[in-house]
Amino acid sequence: MSLMNAKQYEESLRKLKFNVWMFGKKVENVVDNPIIRPSMNAVAATYEFAHYPEYEDLMTATSHITGKKVNRFCHIHQSTEDLVKKSKMGRLLGSLTGCCFQRCVGMDAMNALSMTTYDIDQKHGTEYNKRFLKYLEYVQENDWTCDGAMTDPKGDRSKAPHQQDDPDMFMHVVEEKKDGIVVRGAKCHQTGAVNSHEIIIMPTISMREEDKDYAISFALPADAEGITYIMGRQSCDTRKLEAGTMDRGNQLYGGHEALVVFDDVFVPWERVFMYKEWEFAGQLVEQFASYHRQSYACKAGVGDVLIGATQCIAEYNGAQKASHVKDKIIEMNHLNETLFCGSIACASEGHKEPSGTYYVNTLLANVCKQNVTRFPYEIARLAQDIAGGLMVTLPSEEDLRSPEVGKWIEKYYRASTAVSTEDRMRMLRLIENITLGTAAVGYLTESMHGAGSPQAQRIMISRQVNLEEKKKVAKKLSGVTKDE
Amino acid sequence: MSKKLRIGLKYCGGCTPRYDRVQAVGYLRERLKDRIELVSYEDPDVEGVLVIAGCPTACVDLAPFKGRPVWVVTSPGDAEGFVAAMTRTGDEPEPGDGM
Repeated sequence: MSLMNAKQYEESLRKLKFNVWMFGKKVENVVDNPIIRPSMNAVAATYEFAHYPEYEDLMTATSHITGKKVNRFCHIHQSTEDLVKKSKMGRLLGSLTGCCFQRCVGMDAMNALSMTTYDIDQKHGTEYNKRFLKYLEYVQENDWTCDGAMTDPKGDRSKAPHQQDDPDMFMHVVEEKKDGIVVRGAKCHQTGAVNSHEIIIMPTISMREEDKDYAISFALPADAEGITYIMGRQSCDTRKLEAGTMDRGNQLYGGHEALVVFDDVFVPWERVFMYKEWEFAGQLVEQFASYHRQSYACKAGVGDVLIGATQCIAEYNGAQKASHVKDKIIEMNHLNETLFCGSIACASEGHKEPSGTYYVNTLLANVCKQNVTRFPYEIARLAQDIAGGLMVTLPSEEDLRSPEVGKWIEKYYRASTAVSTEDRMRMLRLIENITLGTAAVGYLTESMHGAGSPQAQRIMISRQVNLEEKKKVAKKLSGVTKDE
Repeated sequence: MSKKLRIGLKYCGGCTPRYDRVQAVGYLRERLKDRIELVSYEDPDVEGVLVIAGCPTACVDLAPFKGRPVWVVTSPGDAEGFVAAMTRTGDEPEPGDGM
């Protein structure tokens, strides 16, 4: 089963025995839970579209291990073309779902591990890469979705992992056994966690020798004994419990995040990919982060949906011919395509690492993500500008359906005679969804902090630009001859 | 009526298409229903491959189709060109006869 479809994916999730909590209660049926279900639909789309001839070229790749066709989310990049197709796939899926489709994080974790495990082996004579490739083949063969889990709670930010008052603020080893290790800790903000078959753990920061118990990477089935998921809230989330669906904005898709707690969980040795090689923790973090910063091409896809919705509402309002509206739409497109440029550029300028895996240009990947921390906010601002205040003062769908007051909404919230009041309301709800509702988690705040907060990219940019060379040329052209 | 040509259909992935690729294929199927049969590009018996790309970049890897006629359509205008190529009397596709 190397390429599941949406139905098969859903059925595969039903077999997992997750320990999931939400609103203080255990979720007995994760797949059908109305709050979680739209996020499952979004991941399911990554399976379904792999079977569509018109998307297959981006959605699938050829495994370098087996030669079989696999979902690109399970693929290790074998060329810069693969890297570019990854960027394009992100844009495509964002533009089809209008939300976070959650599956890129596992792909990025596996690509980073394909390099770091190889490099550890070269230095220490270990067999992590062999283990990892065996695991990768298992993932590809089953077409699993993997949650790539990096962010620890981190506790007191001024202290290293080993200095924390509570040692569990970073995932760590608590016991070493003959057949594996026992780990404890937590991972925050885990996108798509309960839609995943596997969870891949990575350290969250560079480490020193004193932190070696924290320098661990491993993979487990997502429903392994001792793992607990506590679902994150999203703005407007309980609208999904209401009778009507219009006020959700996005009728089909969504995303989710969770706090994942590991309470003394056993990991067999064959699933361990880094064990106390503390000097490689920073490399794994950087490689994962760079890939993940490339992955934010998805936001250009969500931007496509938001721009489409904004143009629609301008037309529904009868304002589409106003010059400032046209110009704002142009600005939204300009910003959106600039986001895409960064992702395509870092992929096109990628290179082959000693492991054979192709890796993005890290400077450009950081520039890409830095833009993502800003431009979606401006695009959202322009969307709200054009949409008008009605987006946040609109009565509910139940009011529209009400025999008593529905007629007033129908009458007073109609704009263009060519468009029904309901359709106008639907479009406003979609804009609301992306700019301040459940999808704003992915489009805005995740754009800010996902794959590292803005300052993390600025540090990487400052490290990688060649300022001395720029100074040298400036001096030469200006006639400065003294080298101070 | 002469035998229909079996043409393999290959789409680009469609990240930012500038026209509706699926609609264009529907149009070609209808226009050329007496001339060609569009099948999977993986079909070993295809006599040529029609590549439907969403923009002029046309990022589809053509290497697997080497030795076969390949037509690359990147716009509705190209689609008309493909129709013209397929409706030329007595024309049979030859390697290098691509657009």
